Amino acid sequence: MKKIKNISWKVSILVLLLLYVLPLYVAITNAFKDYESIIKTPLNLPSPVIFDNFIRAINEAEIFTLYKNSLIITSTSLLLILALSSTMAFVFARSKKRYVRILYVVVLAGMMIPVQNILIPSIKTLQVLRLLGTLPGLMFFYAGTYVSIAVFLYTEFMRTIPLSLEESASIDGASRVRIFVEIILPLLKSCSASISIFLGMWIWNDFLPPMYILGAGSGRTITTGIYRAIGTYTTDWDLVFAAVIQASLPVVIMYLALQKQFQSGLTAGAVKQ
Amino acid sequence: MKNPENRSNALFLAPGLLIYTVFLIIPLGLSLIYSFTNWNGLNPNMKFIGIRNFLLLAREPMFLESMKVTLLIAVLTTLGVNIFGIIVAAVLERKGRLFQLGRTLVFIPAILSPVVVSFIWSYMTQTNGGIINRILNGVGLSSIDLYSSSLSMVLLVSFVIAWAALGFYVTIYIANLNSVPEELYEAAEIDGAGAFRKFLNVTIPMLRPAIVINTITATIWGLKQYDFVKVMIPGHIQTVTIYAIERAFEYNMFGYSSAVIMVLLVMTLIISVVQMKITEKGSDIY
Repeated sequence: MKKIKNISWKVSILVLLLLYVLPLYVAITNAFKDYESIIKTPLNLPSPVIFDNFIRAINEAEIFTLYKNSLIITSTSLLLILALSSTMAFVFARSKKRYVRILYVVVLAGMMIPVQNILIPSIKTLQVLRLLGTLPGLMFFYAGTYVSIAVFLYTEFMRTIPLSLEESASIDGASRVRIFVEIILPLLKSCSASISIFLGMWIWNDFLPPMYILGAGSGRTITTGIYRAIGTYTTDWDLVFAAVIQASLPVVIMYLALQKQFQSGLTAGAVKQ
Repeated sequence: MKNPENRSNALFLAPGLLIYTVFLIIPLGLSLIYSFTNWNGLNPNMKFIGIRNFLLLAREPMFLESMKVTLLIAVLTTLGVNIFGIIVAAVLERKGRLFQLGRTLVFIPAILSPVVVSFIWSYMTQTNGGIINRILNGVGLSSIDLYSSSLSMVLLVSFVIAWAALGFYVTIYIANLNSVPEELYEAAEIDGAGAFRKFLNVTIPMLRPAIVINTITATIWGLKQYDFVKVMIPGHIQTVTIYAIERAFEYNMFGYSSAVIMVLLVMTLIISVVQMKITEKGSDIY
C-alpha cells in the first residue's frame, strides 16, 4: 500500500513536471535548430546546434534596441515610483492628521483600478500633455497606476519601524527631510527590493500600455517589439523561439539568482495583480 | 500652512499626489464623463447623450459575446489556479530535491511575459504539426483542432492563462500550508483519518482565508484579460478589454468604449469591495 502511494506521488509529480518542462524544453531546444528540423523533429535535441535564429532575431527584431528601451523604461519608472511612494508613505505612516488619513484612503483606492481601465482616457491626457508616443509618457502612466500599491506596502512597512530613532534625531534638531533620508531610507531596503521585483517584472513584461502609448513609431519595448516582429498567424517558428528566449532571458536569470526574493516579492504584489 | 508638520507633510506628499492625480484620477474622471457622451476621440465637439451608450451596449451582440467570453475565462481560470494550486502545493510542499525543482519550475511561467507564453502555447497547440497533436498521433490517437469553435478557444486560452499563473498561487498556498500546525494533523491521525480525510478535514479548512483571497484575485485577473487572447487567438474571440480597445482606437467610438470600460470597472470594484469586507472580517477573527 505504501509503495503504491509512493509511486502515485512520483507519477503525479512527473506529469506535472512534464506539463511545465515540455513547453519550456520545446521553446529552448527549437531556438537552436533550423526551420526544417523544427518542423520535422520538434522534440529532438538540436543537432547541429545553430545560432542563426538568435542572430536573425537580433537583426530583424532589433533585440538590443528593445533591451535598451525596456531597461530605460523599467528602471526609470521604478525609480520614479519608489521616490514618489516612499515620501508619501512617510507622511501616511507618521502623521495622525485627519486630512492625511483621508488622502491615504484616496491613494489606496488606486489599487483597485486595473491598468487596462484607464488606458483609453490616458491616451487623451497624454496627448494633451504632449507625452503621447514618448518614453516619459509611458513612465508617468506607470507611476500614476502603480504608486498606490507601493505606497500601501511602504506605509505598512514603515508602521513597523519604531519611532524612538526618529524621536531622538528630532530632539537633536534634525529636520524631517534629514530624518527621512538618513534614518528611514536605509531601513526600507528589503521593502524596496520586493516592490522593485514585482513592479519591475510587470513593467518589463507589460504589453498593452506600451503598445498604445508608445505607438508604432517611437521606441518599442521587448514585448511589443517581438510581437511586432513576429506578427500574428506566424509560422516563422525559428524566429519566434529565439526572440521569445531573448525576451525572457533577463527575467529568468534574475529569478534563478534571486528565487526567494522573487517568490516573496510577487506574493506581496498579490494585493493588486 | 503655519504648522511645521503641515508644511513638511505638503512637501513629502505633493510630488506623489500630483502624479497620481494627473495620471490616474483625471483619466478616470474623464473616462466617466466620456461614457455619457458620443465623443469620437478626435472631433472637439462632443454631445452628452445621457445613458444612451449603456443602453446601446446592453443590446450589442458583440459586447454581450465578449462579456460571456470574459466571464467564462474568469470562472475557468479561477477554478483552475485554485483547485490545481492547492493540489500542486500539497504535493510540492514536501522537502527534497525533486520537490524543490518542481517549485522552481512551476513558478517560471509566472515570471514570463504573457506574450511569450502565448507564442509558446500557440506552437504547442497548432492543429498541424503542433506538439500536442504530435504526441496524440504518436500514441495512435487522431489530431484535435483546438481552434475549431469559440468554446474550444475559450477553454484553450483559459488553460494557458491558468498554466501561466499557477506557480504564483502554488507559492501562496505553500506558504499557507507551512503555517498549518502539525498537531492538527497528528490529532486527525489519532482519530484514524487517512491522507485524503486529513486533506479534506484539516488542510482545506485551514486554507480557507487564502482560498477566499486567491479566488477574488484570480477573478479580477480573469476579468481584465487582454494579452493572452490577443496574441493567441486574434480576431476569433474577444474579451471585454479587447472589445473596448478596438472600439476606441479602430472605430473611434471613444464615448461608447468608455462606457464599456466603466461596466468592467464597476464589476471589478464590486469584487474588490467584497474582498475588503472579507479581509476585514478575517482580521477580526484572529
